Amino acid sequence: MDSIPPEEIPCAQQAIAVLWPSFIVAIVASGVFFSAFNPRDLIPYNLDIEISPLAAYSIGFFLFWLLALLSSLGTMYFTISNCRFLRKQGN
Amino acid sequence: MATIQASPGEPELYAAHKKIYPREVSGYFSRLRTVSLLALLGIYYVTPLLQWDGRQAILFDLPARKFYLFGLTLWPQDFIYLAALLILAGLALFFFTALLGRVWCGYACPQTVWTEAYLWMERKIEGNRGRRMKLDKAPYSAAKIRIKVLKHAVWIAFSLWTGFTFVAYFTPIDVLASELLSFNLGPWETFWILFYSFATYGNAGFMREQVCKYMCPYARFQSAMFDSDTLIVAYHPERGEPRGSRRRGVDPAEAGLGDCIDCNVCVQVCPTGIDIRDGLQYECIACSLCIDGCNEIMDKMSYPRDLIRYTTENSALGKRQHILRPRIIVYACILLLLCGLLVGHISQRVALDLDVIRDRNTLYRETRDGLIENVYTLKILNMDSRTHRYRLWAEGVDGLKLVVDEPDILVHAGTVQQLVVRLQADEQNLEARSVPVSFHLQAEDSNHLKAVEEARFVGPGKS
Repeated sequence: MDSIPPEEIPCAQQAIAVLWPSFIVAIVASGVFFSAFNPRDLIPYNLDIEISPLAAYSIGFFLFWLLALLSSLGTMYFTISNCRFLRKQGN
Repeated sequence: MATIQASPGEPELYAAHKKIYPREVSGYFSRLRTVSLLALLGIYYVTPLLQWDGRQAILFDLPARKFYLFGLTLWPQDFIYLAALLILAGLALFFFTALLGRVWCGYACPQTVWTEAYLWMERKIEGNRGRRMKLDKAPYSAAKIRIKVLKHAVWIAFSLWTGFTFVAYFTPIDVLASELLSFNLGPWETFWILFYSFATYGNAGFMREQVCKYMCPYARFQSAMFDSDTLIVAYHPERGEPRGSRRRGVDPAEAGLGDCIDCNVCVQVCPTGIDIRDGLQYECIACSLCIDGCNEIMDKMSYPRDLIRYTTENSALGKRQHILRPRIIVYACILLLLCGLLVGHISQRVALDLDVIRDRNTLYRETRDGLIENVYTLKILNMDSRTHRYRLWAEGVDGLKLVVDEPDILVHAGTVQQLVVRLQADEQNLEARSVPVSFHLQAEDSNHLKAVEEARFVGPGKS
């Protein structure tokens, strides 16, 4: 796959390369995390937040997705900006 | 060093997408495939409708933190079973891949199942391959817009049904349906229905084979499970080549041709748009539609069938075929071992949990009769699907007395009950300042349902 110059990879495929693996990681992370912790116990007792369990799980899932997405984005950024192709071109 | 430009001969992994119009085909494998796809779709849409003991048979009740699988209720502490189940599924995939190749991709993967369903709807509305290609090339007209709108409307309706069914695995389907009919759906339920519908619509309607080619991790590593005895779909080049068109009735041997008439049917029926005659490719999902397509042509030409067929590398090369080989035996052994462990563990699982917390405010107190008394809070978790009455006793010190204020220890199915109990012992019988004691809990109607929990009994100590 290293035979394709990164800027020739269409935007949509770059987006999928970041969104998709992080989505899978977020599913696994939410499963492990919420089987150990009940979201009801996570809200500090002095905070008065009314939140349904489904909302808590959903928000948790999206937070995990966001975290994994940042990591995937970092990988993408570093591989593309440091790749041998660009160095060889003298960029 | 990596090459900078993709050489022209190399297949470009990220080439601009060309829409694939798979041609319809009928035959043995396509019928087998239809049966498998319909069965799987049926399982998906019917499962949430099944009832068990007055509740939904399979329900992942997130708010209550309980998973119901028919008679089994799983609690968060049983997460290990789900993890084991996933590992088992992975191993089963290894085993079947080594044995049967990509049978999962061709017959059972949700991506395949829903893509075929969407393709079927597309065929019913837009017509066969030729008509679909013509329609897409034609300029926009009232007729074209009407057909396209109809297709997307049907797709979207099917997607919404799929999304609704998905959420029904987490929220009971009767509750969900009545909420939907009274326009009272919760915001997150609405969101997840739309999210899943959108994913289905996108994956099955548009992305299709691109998911297999670019997004599927299994497609990338499945070749690691392959060996020379793995079942593959392959073209018979010795018989087929040199390929070429000919009139019917012409003897291929005289014309210097092989059996392949180069009609391209195998390419046209392929849902991933490859040419199986180029050899084994990672895009091939082993759906075997090219076998049916080619056999139809062979029949028309009165040539023997199976120019494209299921075979293995060894049998294609005329070597001996081994079904039982070390790889298969090792995968099967690990699979059976894990299966046995999981089934054994689940059958031994005690649907009862006891937690004992000593009262932290007072170490001990003396009763009017001169006995040393400790107070404990018991948490009894009945994980069974039935209500049970329990018998409780304590051991560890001679003449230990258990005082429970409630006459009956009754815990309803799937609930936690707190119970404050007192233990009393004669100071003479206490060997040390702190001695171990154990609480025993036993269901009255089942010998299997019992739990033991250790605790400490604190006294003044020997002076």
